[in-house]
Parts: sequence; structure tokens; C-alpha cells
Amino acid sequence: MAARSVLLKHLRVNAKPLPHNINLNSSFGLSFNVVRRLFSEEVRGSFLDKSEVTDRVVAVVKNFQKIDPSKVTPNAHFGNGLGLDSLDTVEIVMALEEEFGFEIPDNEADKINTIGLAVEFIASHPQAK
Amino acid sequence: MSAAVASTAAYLARRAAQKQRVRILYRRALKDTLNWAVHRHLFYRDASDLRERFDANKNVEDLDTIDKIIYEGEASYNKWRHPDPYIVPWAPGGSKFTRNPTPPEGVSLLIFIIQ
Repeated sequence: MAARSVLLKHLRVNAKPLPHNINLNSSFGLSFNVVRRLFSEEVRGSFLDKSEVTDRVVAVVKNFQKIDPSKVTPNAHFGNGLGLDSLDTVEIVMALEEEFGFEIPDNEADKINTIGLAVEFIASHPQAK
Repeated sequence: MSAAVASTAAYLARRAAQKQRVRILYRRALKDTLNWAVHRHLFYRDASDLRERFDANKNVEDLDTIDKIIYEGEASYNKWRHPDPYIVPWAPGGSKFTRNPTPPEGVSLLIFIIQ
């Protein structure tokens, strides 16, 4: 018993106590440092801030040639308020897709006809840049 | 007679469906133009040509003519589709799609560092 404990004390390696460290198999003469990493937090994309999205969307819409820039408000309707054609709406949605580095599926893109809807869609998508 | 026809629900529903088809066709054609035209100034010119072609048929009232025009438009879109379109990487068909799927909740990795 005593010899055993002396032998173990001789063999034990000095482990530097680091947080989250488990020292396995120290009788081998090597020490393994084990690091735990929780994966699920790193992979999720980041959502953009809604006010920033609104500012960028309004800036894109203001740069459009067929629109009077003073009429653009964050609640404007593309067809009624700003007097745009449905094809113009399609063009604006494409410009927003290019601005945010996005891909909107065709049937979703069809339903966007106000600035508010566009802002909500972009802000709720995790991969909007 | 055309006034009675113009107000029925079926007519309006058919017109709305046609308008949606036109919008989706315009969107796809515009993306395709962007795929083909590498330089931006070429794209602007081609996009305005496309817009004029759509605008020329804007005031047609007859449903069957509109259907025929939409069908011809879709046929010419299918003919001109780009073989290698640009798709955003994380979208289906892109290069990064399902590349790193989100791991299930609570999974952690033990990394062994040998000193």
C-alpha cells in the first residue's frame, strides 16, 4: 500500500490547473489538455439591426431614378405612395437583394410591396450582410 | 359586354394571376441579364431594353393575347438562360449551401491538445 502510493506520487505529473481542464492518463508521462468547445453558438448568423436596415433600404430607394426622394418614408407603399409600377417594384427588390448580398425566393419577392415588409424580411434573415 | 366581363371575380382573378406571372418572369429575366452582362454598363443598357419590351405590351386588354405573350416571354427566357448563373453562396444551388449545417443543440467538442 505504502509502496503503491510512493510509486504513484513519483509518477504523477504536475498538472497546471487551468480552467476547464481534465488531466487524463497522467501515468503516460504526457498530459492531455482537453478543451471543451460548444459549437452551436458559433455557427448561427447574425441578424441585422432594424434601424440600420431601414436606413439602408431608404437610401437604396432614394437613389432610384423614378422616385421623388422627398416622398420616401419608412412606411411608404411602393405602388400607392410612391407611384411605382409593379415592374418597378421588382427592380427595387432586386436592388435590395444586391445591396444586402441576399437571395429572396421568387414567391416571397412577389409579396413585398411596401418598405416595411422589405425591412422586416431583411431583418429576420440571418444571413443579411 | 366588356364592362360586365371586366367586373367578374374570375376575370380579376385571372388578371391577377397573369400579373404575378409577369412579375416573376421580369424578375428572372432581369437576373438572367445580370448573369450574361458581366460589366455593369452593359447590364444597364440590356435592362432598359428588357424593360421597354415589357412596357410595349403593357396596355393589352384581351386575356388570351396576354396569355400568349406571357407564354412567348417564358419560352424566350428559357432559351436564353445562363448555364452557370450566379447564386448567392448560402442559397440552394450555391457553393456554401449546407456546407456547415448547424450542429444539434448542446453538442460540444472535446479537443485534445498534447503538450
